[in-house]
Amino acid sequence: MDVAATTTSLVDIGRATLARPSFKSHGSTRVPLAWRNLLADKRRLLRSITGISFAVLLMFLQLGFRNAFLDSALRVIQSIDADIVLMSTTKFRFGRKDPFSRRQLYAARAAEGVLSVRPIYGEWMTSIWKNPETQKTYNAQVLAFDPDEPVFLLPEVNQHLQELRQPDTALSDANARRFYGTASAGTETELSRRRIRIIGTFALGPDFTTDGTLILSDRNFLKFFASDRLAAGTLADVELGAVKVQPGYAAEEVKQSLRQLLPGNVAVRTKAEMLALETAFQNSVSPVGPIFLLGTAIGFVVGMMISYQVLYTDLSDQLPQYATLKAMGYDNAYLVQVVLTQSIFYALIAWLPAWGLGLLLYRLIGDVALLPMHMTFGIVIGTLAITIAMCAIAGLLAVRRVLKADPSDVF
Amino acid sequence: MTPGTHQLPSAVVVDAVDHFFGEGDSRSQVLFNNSLRIEPGELVIMTGPSGSGKTTLLTLIGALRSLQSGRIEVLGHSLAGLQKRDLMAVRRNIGFIFQMHNLFDSLSAFENVKMAMQLSKCRPSEMRRRGTEVLERLGLGHRIDHKPRMLSGGQRQRVAVARALVNRPNLILADEPTAALDKDSSRIVVDLLKELSREGCTVMMVTHDNRILELADRIINMVDGNIKSNVVLRDAVRICEFLRTVDLFKHLTPIEITNIAEKMMLRRYRNGEIIIREGDPGEEFFLIGLGLVDVNRRMAASEEKKVATLSAGGFFGESALIADQPRNATCTAASEHVEVFSLGKADFRQALKASASFKDQIHSVYFQRQ
Repeated sequence: MDVAATTTSLVDIGRATLARPSFKSHGSTRVPLAWRNLLADKRRLLRSITGISFAVLLMFLQLGFRNAFLDSALRVIQSIDADIVLMSTTKFRFGRKDPFSRRQLYAARAAEGVLSVRPIYGEWMTSIWKNPETQKTYNAQVLAFDPDEPVFLLPEVNQHLQELRQPDTALSDANARRFYGTASAGTETELSRRRIRIIGTFALGPDFTTDGTLILSDRNFLKFFASDRLAAGTLADVELGAVKVQPGYAAEEVKQSLRQLLPGNVAVRTKAEMLALETAFQNSVSPVGPIFLLGTAIGFVVGMMISYQVLYTDLSDQLPQYATLKAMGYDNAYLVQVVLTQSIFYALIAWLPAWGLGLLLYRLIGDVALLPMHMTFGIVIGTLAITIAMCAIAGLLAVRRVLKADPSDVF
Repeated sequence: MTPGTHQLPSAVVVDAVDHFFGEGDSRSQVLFNNSLRIEPGELVIMTGPSGSGKTTLLTLIGALRSLQSGRIEVLGHSLAGLQKRDLMAVRRNIGFIFQMHNLFDSLSAFENVKMAMQLSKCRPSEMRRRGTEVLERLGLGHRIDHKPRMLSGGQRQRVAVARALVNRPNLILADEPTAALDKDSSRIVVDLLKELSREGCTVMMVTHDNRILELADRIINMVDGNIKSNVVLRDAVRICEFLRTVDLFKHLTPIEITNIAEKMMLRRYRNGEIIIREGDPGEEFFLIGLGLVDVNRRMAASEEKKVATLSAGGFFGESALIADQPRNATCTAASEHVEVFSLGKADFRQALKASASFKDQIHSVYFQRQ
C-alpha cells in the first residue's frame, strides 16, 4: 500500500492542481507518443525492425544488382577512347555482332573536325575459349584493334602494344569469371581451336552476358575470325569506328558532318548516346533490368506487408488507449500524425541496419560474382525514400484501425 | 414565469431520450423516454443491473455517441445534431474515468496525465506543477515517472483518475472508478471527486460500490432502460425527517417513508409566486422544505384572506387529491427562497392504498380542516 500521506490540503489542490489552464500554445510540450510507443517493448521492436530490415535489404540487393548489371554492361563502352562512335544502324547493343564496311571509316576521316577514326573488331559467337587448366571451352568476348592506333583506355592494354603485334597473341581479362581459368602472361591455350599465347592481362570484368574478354591485334583477329578476307587481301568489316574530334570542334558538330557524309546503314553516335542506347536496351528490352526492378517492387510490397502487420498489431494492442484519446477530445488528425510518425521511425531505424548489412553484402557479392556492386548515393537516397514511403503507406493503412475505434466502447 | 423553473442552468439535462442499438430486424431499444436534470456540483451515482442502460446514458451525456432522439444539454451545449468536431469540443470539457485505466504503457504516469493537459495547451512549467500536484494528491508522488507496468492496479487507476481531473473539467463521467481500488485508494479518489463537486464540478458515476453511496448527492437507479428512481439524497433525507415529525406520517415504516420521499420532486419558488391557485384542479401534494407559504382563501365578498402561514415541514394540497375536488385555497411563497417537495396525484393515492393508517390520518387531517 503506497497511499502516502500528503500534507497538501484539499483547498490547496483546488487552487493549484485544479486551476484553470491557460490557453497558450506550446508545441514543445507535447508528449512524444510515437517515439515512446516505438520503444515501449524492446523485444518487439527488435523483431519488427528485423522484419522490415530484411525487406529493405532485399531492395538494397535488387537495386545493387540492377546497377551492377547496367554498370558492367557499360564498362566496355566506357573503356573505348572515342568522342563519337560509328556503328551499324541495326546494332542494338554492344555485345551483338553487327559489323559494317571498313571503307566507311576511310570516308569518315574526310569529315571536317575529325582527328582520327580507328576500327574496333568484335566477335562473340564463334570465339571459343579453352580454359588452360580444365580444357573446358566457353564463349568469350573478343575485341581487336590496330596496335598502331590504340583505341582503349585500359592502361594494361596500351602497355602491351608491341607484344600484341606478334602472331597468335592476346591479352586476357584478369577479372574474367574463374571458370575461364588463370591466363597470365605466358599461358598458352586455344581460341577457336587455334593456339594462342597470352602476353598479359588487363582489368575489365564480366557482365551478365559476357564471362570473359580477350583483346587481340587486328591482324591476329582477322587470322582467327576472318582468314578468308586476310587471304584475299580485302578489307574486313569492322564492329565499331572510334572517332576522335580535333581540338576546337564540338562532338555534336562533327557528328552532324559525319551524318551527312556516311550512308544510312552507319549510325553516328556520341559516346554518351551509345551509353544511353546500351542503358535503354538493358533497362527496357533486356529482361534482366526489369527483373531487378520487379525484385525491388516485391521487396517493397513484402516490406509494406511486414510494416503493416507490425503497426496493425501495435495499434490493436493499444486500441482502448487510442479510443480513450478520442474520448478525451483528440481528433483523428492527431491519431494519424502519431501513427505516421511511428511508421517513419520504423522506416528510419529499420533502414540503418539494412544499409550496413547491404554495404557488407555488396562487397562480398562484388568479390564473389565479380560484379561492380557499388553503394551509390542514388541507391542510399532511393532506398531511404522507398523505405519511408513503404512504412508510411503501411501506417496509413493501419491507422484505419484506430480511426474506427469507437470511444464509447471504452466505457 | 412557470412556477418552479427559475433554478440555475443545469449541468446536464436529459429530456425524453430514447436510444436504439442495431439496425433493421436486429434493432433493439435500450433507453426508453428517459429524462433527468443534474444541477452543477452534484455528485450523482447511477446504479442498476447490467444492461439497464446506465452506461449507454452516460456515453450519450459524454458526447461519445450521437443522440438519436430526445434532447440532451451538457454544460449549456445541446448535443442534438452536433457534428463530430463539435462533439469532440464538448468532450474536452468532460473528464472521463473508465473502468479500465487505458493508460499508455509506453508513457510514465506523468506523461499519461500530460496527455490530458496537452489538450488544454497550458504552459510547460504549469504542466509539471499541476501534473505533479494532482498525482501527489492521489498518493502517487513517488511514482510520477514510473511506467504503468511498474504500478499496481490501484495505482494505475489513480493515474487514470488524475488524467481525468487534471484539467479540472466541469463534468466528470466515471464508470466504476473504484472497482479496481482498495478501500484506502477508493477513499482518496472519492474524496477528491467529492471535493471537486463541492467546487461546482458535476460528477456522474456508475458504481456498485456501496462504500461510496453515502457521498452521493443524487442516486439514479435504472432498470431495463428506464430511470426507475432519481433521488436527491439530501432532499430525501430532509423529506423523511419532515415526514417523521408530522403526526400524519409517524405511523409509516421507514421503507414506506423512503418510498414516498423518492417520488417527491423539488421545486423552488420566489417570494410572491403562486404555488397552487384556489379553484384549479388538484394534481399534487406539497411538503414545504424551506421557507414560508401563505394559505389564502376567498371569502364571501370575493376577498382573499390569509388563513394560515406554513413553514418548513408543513404540507398542503392534500384536500383536492382526496376529495377529487378543485383547490380550496391559494398557496403563495411568502419568503425569498421557498423549496417545496411535490408528490403526484397517482403516487399520493398509491401511498394511501399502501398504508391504511396513513389513509386514516390523511382523512382525519382533511376533515379537521373542513
